[in-house]
Amino acid sequence: MGLGFAIGAFGVLILAHAAYSTIQYRGLLKIMEEEFSGPPMNVVVELLVGLVLCMWAALTVPGKFLSIHPHSDENRIVSLPANMDFMVFNHRGKVFPSAMDLKLKH
Amino acid sequence: MVTKTEETQLNRLESQLEHGGGGAWEYLCLVRKLKVRRSEKVLKHGLSILNDPKKRSSLGHDEWTLYEQVAIAAMDCQSLDVAKDCINVLQKRFPESKRVGGLEGMLLEAKGCWTEAEKAYLSLLEDNPLDQVIHKRRVALAKAQGKVSEAIEFLNKYLEIFMADSDAWRELAEIYISLQMYKQAAFCYEELILSQPTVPLYHLAYADVLYTLGGLENLQAAKKYYSSTIDLTGGKNTRALFGICLCTSAIAQLTKGRNKEDKDSPDLQSLATAALEKEYKHRASGKVPVLASALKSLKVS
Repeated sequence: MGLGFAIGAFGVLILAHAAYSTIQYRGLLKIMEEEFSGPPMNVVVELLVGLVLCMWAALTVPGKFLSIHPHSDENRIVSLPANMDFMVFNHRGKVFPSAMDLKLKH
Repeated sequence: MVTKTEETQLNRLESQLEHGGGGAWEYLCLVRKLKVRRSEKVLKHGLSILNDPKKRSSLGHDEWTLYEQVAIAAMDCQSLDVAKDCINVLQKRFPESKRVGGLEGMLLEAKGCWTEAEKAYLSLLEDNPLDQVIHKRRVALAKAQGKVSEAIEFLNKYLEIFMADSDAWRELAEIYISLQMYKQAAFCYEELILSQPTVPLYHLAYADVLYTLGGLENLQAAKKYYSSTIDLTGGKNTRALFGICLCTSAIAQLTKGRNKEDKDSPDLQSLATAALEKEYKHRASGKVPVLASALKSLKVS
């Protein structure tokens, strides 16, 4: 968790640095009076690294993925709940009273 | 709904408790969440928490929920003294509560005082005519006395108001099945499948009812619903696999003279038998010959 978060923060920093470098590069181009043809190499590399790091952090930090398959163990329903609202007490358990002599002590 | 992981967790906690490990509160919470009926264990472990003042006070507000849970479990185990004590504690804490009133009605039911219980429920319904729990208790009361037709009547009236209550639909279906009124039961299961289409057990129960009704059309529909059960459970439901085999052989028997079977049926059956054989080999290899002979008797040459 801590590691993932740190890596995500690092990725955001790299992206911010890429933005800063682009602005600087544009300023430089204005001074040298050249046409803008494309971003410099280091900015592109920074963008890619930032993208990968941020994506990795976003996929790991929030938590584990849950299965959406209806037949996976987390989703597969094996039994219905006992209908407790319609519970009936005069069943055969009445004839076999539990041996426990339990008492509520207060 | 109890999923596979939850079932394993429940069993693990149960065996842990039996061998003297801790986790009683987690177990009770899980039982409450999954709504399973483990009254004896709930009574035993719930009381052990309630009788320990330190543990009880550490629960905070959940203490009262536990009192209710233990009271109901005690009624189910016929430990009426415990139930009465629990209800008295709740009564002291929440005087005038409708929920405690319902519990008192249930205690009367457990004692077998039907008329008194009925009176208690009716007076509670006068205060709040739309109390779902009390309506359901009246149905259960009629059922407990063996007045099944009255129970059906109450349930139908209840379902006219609360149509989205799937538990009530299931109860009605089960009552109809107990009376062998399969057409009515099938209607209830249709209703359940409509409201919760991803629950494989409703598909399975509907298919069972259709298979029991018989007739070519019903059998074919039953086969489709067994197939959808298999689809939803990933082939891990043995009953549905057997259902496919039974339906196929029954359909083959009905259409023996006519030579216009649909093409997929032999295929489906062989797949189902293969899955069954694999499952039996994996989990009960001693029973494989029994399975083979049973499947052989189903084959219609």
